[in-house]
Amino acid sequence: MKRQKWKELLIHTLRLYTLLVTLITVLMIILGNLLDRGRVFSYDAFFSPLVYALIGTVATVITRSDQELSVRSLIIRKTISLLLIEGAVIFIALNADTIPTDKRWVVPALALGVFIVFVLSHIILYFIDKKEAEKLNADLSRYQEKQMNSSPINE
Amino acid sequence: MKLETRKIPESEPEMVEIRYHWITDEIQEIISFVKSRQGQLSTVRDGKRYEVPVMDLFYAESVDDRLFLYTAADSYEIRMKLYELEDLLKNKSFIRISKSMIVNLMKITSVRPALNGRFSAILKNGEEIIISRKYVPALKQILKGGEF
Repeated sequence: MKRQKWKELLIHTLRLYTLLVTLITVLMIILGNLLDRGRVFSYDAFFSPLVYALIGTVATVITRSDQELSVRSLIIRKTISLLLIEGAVIFIALNADTIPTDKRWVVPALALGVFIVFVLSHIILYFIDKKEAEKLNADLSRYQEKQMNSSPINE
Repeated sequence: MKLETRKIPESEPEMVEIRYHWITDEIQEIISFVKSRQGQLSTVRDGKRYEVPVMDLFYAESVDDRLFLYTAADSYEIRMKLYELEDLLKNKSFIRISKSMIVNLMKITSVRPALNGRFSAILKNGEEIIISRKYVPALKQILKGGEF
C-alpha cells in the first residue's frame, strides 16, 4: 500500500510539473508580448519555465499533507503555498537580468500571472480528478453488479 | 471462562450457547460478535438495544472514541473499535475511506471529486461523505477486483 501511495504522489507531482511548465510558457508568451515585446533571448531562456514550474511544484509538494484537513485548513494551506510561489518567483524576477522589473507593470503582471497559473492548474487538476471519478464510478457499478449477483448479504 | 467445543453430526444444526451469571461487557462482546457473524450487529439507541442488519448499514464513524453506525435514516452506537468493525465487515463490501470512517460500497450511488485530490461519495440516502486521498488507492484496487 505504501508503494501505491508513493506511486500516486509521483504521478501527481509529474502531472503538476508538466501542467505548470505548459501554463508558465503560455504566461511568458502573453506577458512578454504585452510588456517587453522587443527583447531577444538566448537559448537559456528555455530553462525559465522549467525552473519556475519546479518552484511551483516544490512549494505545492512540501505543503501537501496526508492529514484529513478541513476546508478552512485546506484554504489556509493553499494560500501559504501560493504566497511561497509568489515570493520565490518575484525574488528570482528581481534578481534576474532578463526580466525588466524596472518597468512599472512587470512585477504586478508577474504576480497576477502566477495567481492565474495557480488557479488554472487547480481547475485543470480538478477536471483530471473528475475523469478519475468517472472511472471509479464505472468500476463501482461493475463491482455492485457483481456483488448483487453473488452475495445475499447486500441487496 | 471455560471454553468448550463439540463436533456434532451434520444432521444437527450448528449452535453457540453462552452460559452466564450476569451479562457483563465481556459476555455482551461475545454475543455481538456471534450476531455480527450472522449478518446482524448489536447496537444501542436512546438506551434501547437494536439488532441492525449489516446489509442496512451505510457507514460507520468513530467520534471521540465512540463508534456510530448509520443506516438510511437512523444512527446507532456500537460497543466496538472501528478497526474491529472494519475487520469484521471487510469481506462484506465495507472499506475504510478515512481515519474515522468505513463505508458500505453497496450503498454508494456515485463518487465525485472534492478539494485537494479527495473524493466525495454520494450515498443512496443522499448523504455525502469524504473519501480521504490516502484511502483512494485501496478503493481503486478493491473496485478492480482486488482483495479487502
